[in-house]
Amino acid sequence: MAHESHSSGHSGGHAHVIPQSKLIATMGALTGLMLLTIFAAQVPYWFPAFAWLKDQHLLMNLIAIGIAFWKAWLVVSIFMGVKFATKLTRLFAIGGFVWFTLMFITMIDYFTRPWEPVKGWEAGNSSALPRNVARPE
Amino acid sequence: MGGHAPVTNDPDADEVYFQYEDIDQQQESYVVGMWAFLVTEVMFFGALFLMYAIYRWKWHTDFYLVHKQLDWQLGGLNTFVLLISSFCVAMAVHYAQLKKPKQQLICLGITLACAFGFLGIKTIEYSSKFEHNLFPNHSFVYADHKVTSYGMEKKDVTGRAAGVEHAKKVKKPQEGDPNRARLFLSLYFAMTGLHGLHVVIGILVIGTLMIMIARKSPLITDYVPTEMIGLYWHFVDLVWIFLYPLFYLIPK
Amino acid sequence: MSATVIDGIQEAQQEPTQKNYLNADHTIASWLLTVDHKRIAIMYLIGVTFFFFLGSIAAAMIRVELTSPNGLFLTSETYNKTFTAHGVLMIFFFLIPAIPAVMGNFLLPLMIGARDLAFPKLNLLSWYLYMISGGFVLAAMILGGIDAGWTFYTPLSSIYSNTQITLALVGLFISGFSSIATGVNFIASIHKMRAPGMTWFRLPLYVWSHYATSIIIILGTPVVAITLLLVVFERVFAIGVFSPELGGDPVLFQHMFWFYSHPAVYIMVLPAMGIISEVISCFSRRRVFGYEFIAFSSIAIAGLGFLVWGHHMFISSQSVLQGVIFSLLSFLVAIPSAIKIFNWSLTMYKGSIHLRTPMLYALGFIGLFVIGGLTGLFLASVDTDVHLTGTYFIVAHFHYVMVGGTLLAFLAGIHFWWPKFFGVMYNEFWGKVSAVIVFLGFNFTFFPQFILGYLGMPRRYHMYYFAQEWQIYHVASTIGSGILGIGLILPACYLTASLIRGKKCSHNPWGAKGLEWEAAATPPVTENFTVMPIVREDPYDYDAIADSALYEEERKKGKKPALVGATDDEEKKD
Ligand code: HEM
Ligand SMILES: [Cu+2]
Repeated sequence: MAHESHSSGHSGGHAHVIPQSKLIATMGALTGLMLLTIFAAQVPYWFPAFAWLKDQHLLMNLIAIGIAFWKAWLVVSIFMGVKFATKLTRLFAIGGFVWFTLMFITMIDYFTRPWEPVKGWEAGNSSALPRNVARPE
Repeated sequence: MGGHAPVTNDPDADEVYFQYEDIDQQQESYVVGMWAFLVTEVMFFGALFLMYAIYRWKWHTDFYLVHKQLDWQLGGLNTFVLLISSFCVAMAVHYAQLKKPKQQLICLGITLACAFGFLGIKTIEYSSKFEHNLFPNHSFVYADHKVTSYGMEKKDVTGRAAGVEHAKKVKKPQEGDPNRARLFLSLYFAMTGLHGLHVVIGILVIGTLMIMIARKSPLITDYVPTEMIGLYWHFVDLVWIFLYPLFYLIPK
Repeated sequence: MSATVIDGIQEAQQEPTQKNYLNADHTIASWLLTVDHKRIAIMYLIGVTFFFFLGSIAAAMIRVELTSPNGLFLTSETYNKTFTAHGVLMIFFFLIPAIPAVMGNFLLPLMIGARDLAFPKLNLLSWYLYMISGGFVLAAMILGGIDAGWTFYTPLSSIYSNTQITLALVGLFISGFSSIATGVNFIASIHKMRAPGMTWFRLPLYVWSHYATSIIIILGTPVVAITLLLVVFERVFAIGVFSPELGGDPVLFQHMFWFYSHPAVYIMVLPAMGIISEVISCFSRRRVFGYEFIAFSSIAIAGLGFLVWGHHMFISSQSVLQGVIFSLLSFLVAIPSAIKIFNWSLTMYKGSIHLRTPMLYALGFIGLFVIGGLTGLFLASVDTDVHLTGTYFIVAHFHYVMVGGTLLAFLAGIHFWWPKFFGVMYNEFWGKVSAVIVFLGFNFTFFPQFILGYLGMPRRYHMYYFAQEWQIYHVASTIGSGILGIGLILPACYLTASLIRGKKCSHNPWGAKGLEWEAAATPPVTENFTVMPIVREDPYDYDAIADSALYEEERKKGKKPALVGATDDEEKKD
């Protein structure tokens, strides 16, 4: 109900003011993480000792994406105030971010396209499966 | 929070639109409406990220080679600029809650400046791409290969001439398959372009808000409008947080 | 606010002379600049009727053309443009907005006990966006037409077609925002604008179904918007994300398109189901059976609906594994739909059923939706679909669910709430006649198409000289569509007539429950309620015996009914 949660029903009565120090700390953390992600990406090129990292595709991708999610979490929870917000707001925030990952079900298609359970129907030159269009020359 | 300015203790001082019972209902409706809108934004960009993920997975080597055309320093600078703006919006909301319109306006002003700065840097980036014909168009040229929508003509007479002419201006060696290069840059322009559009909208909205606050418009009675616009702006920042590593810092 | 609240129920029996939202102001500007949800709903009603009319003309052209195996009067190109026009107009400009934007707009605030939606200006904006997008699409059709089908599959739409696709897609992009505006508005209103006492489980099921619909709208529409926008970019800037030459994948377009467009079929049908719940319980004089089940099945449909899009792509070279997964998931989505059907049936069981016009349409809905849903299961299993996809079987399937479902429910709703909208009663006799004609005409039109599809007639073909024996089915279908057309013109006539010289109806002609009937005037006043209603009862608090006895008695006596609207006999007199 609209009116259940109110304390006194007047302007700003239920607003959570995020203390300035917390905002500044968050800003600091975000800057740090930004530098970290740049550093992580460039380290193999800057320091020959870490050149082997260039081939660790999965690891490097995970680091980059992991940091991005961490930063996103900070922005959503503190700057956008979801951490202090009502349950409903949290539901929307989480729901939105969870739901769009459903779209990634599409990836199953791309991962398994070459898989053909019927013997003899596998992708071949005459098949429609491989999608590279024959180009002249 | 404790002490309020005396004005707000009088319920009549709060302008409430006719459809609402009281200011709380109005504010809560705004919050729900805004979050519902943000969900649509998440889905909007989510679809683009899905597309990116599929093509990146499929053509990761080419994408790695092509991504070197982007300038990670400028991108990093832009990340920082947006971060500052995001922080300032958060501070603006903070001051709005404390009813300090002057500080609030200053924070919003910095945000606005950052937004313009972001667009400025983006313009520099885009224009260098345009210079090298590295934007999706019908006569895309990459590493001397002319690429059209209907397949690739390799070094035909005109294409070569154009290619040679461009080669003079090229700073970075252009590696990777020209077709994939075009795919990558298509995604780059589509995603950063739509993000840029959001920045422009943000500028308009924040500018309007600042004018209204400065003029003490009766429509802005409390911090909620600032908070709503802040949410939008944080979302814009959020998208960039993902765009930056995904386009500028691709590992091999 | 608690100080101002008193019980609104008695207060509602206002003087009939009172100003209502219709006669509050008469200037054109007062309509075009209104923020009153009821006026916006009426403007939407005019809009969707207009587009429905245009779409029907295209349908008639298709049907006439198909009476001959060699085509009758259209070139192949024009035929393509005709069916595209039909699909685009009907889906994007009738089926998707029809029930939410017309009846939802009108009724939602009334049902939850609010003065308006949460964002009335946004609501008006949504109407303008709708009309502007309609303008774009009509312009595209006038300037040369669009020929890629309502699904706009790439690479036909992106590379090969030379028609006005860009313009049309921009239009559809805008219409997406119109939809989103409505969805956001409904969500905020349902969450925050409910009257005191109107708990979630006292909401009419109609409101629940709109809640589920709005969730689908805000989660799905942006995806299709961006997808269509990318096709526009591809046509204008040659960005090429769906071009196979560049390593892009045209099938990805289908994934993203159906990620929205399968849930979109539930945008069309969930509100319809909401109407049916209201109508069935009112005319059975019984509390809806299994309220929670119906409410949650709406939400379940909204959720599951997002997990089945691949069933449109079984032969689009998506991977075999994913085809199987989507096939299984598609079966699941039939369960919540079936729950609703069972609950409606059980609502009628031992009820006191009154076969008034809206009820006839509602019964028609149940029958046709069952057929449509069951044939959906044939299509959802990969192996039968390989044979049936791309044939008239599909055409029949989705017309059973969309016309038999959404259109019939729309008509049921229009007939049910017409007195509420305008304070007048239509001619009940013609109402019943038209309901029967629509039902018969519909089956006549679309049942032969199941057979045609099974025999192999491909959809979107405009000649079948290779199988002349199909002509009989096509001719039958065309005759049926003529009957259906008559059935649809009739309501247009008698409903319009009722506006001009219809009987003023009583406050609550059906004796229906719900705030919109019990606490608001007929037609409602500008801000809906003179006093804030307080809700003290559960919805659908019908008493089969008492409510019907009253109802029947009034009818027999033929005296001016207090609760009942104009009865058949009375209508015939004038
Ligand atoms: C009971 C659950 C349902 C199931 C299992 C189901 C299943 C299917 C399947 C598998 C297809 C694809 C056929 C093909 O292209 O080969 C299909 C097509 C279609 N269905 Fe359904 N359906 C259901 C309910 C609905 C409803 C309620 C609606 C609309 C109100 C609807 C509208 C459509 C439309 C418009 C198409 C054709 C799209 C096109 O290709 O143009 N369906 N259905
Ligand atoms: Cu479907």
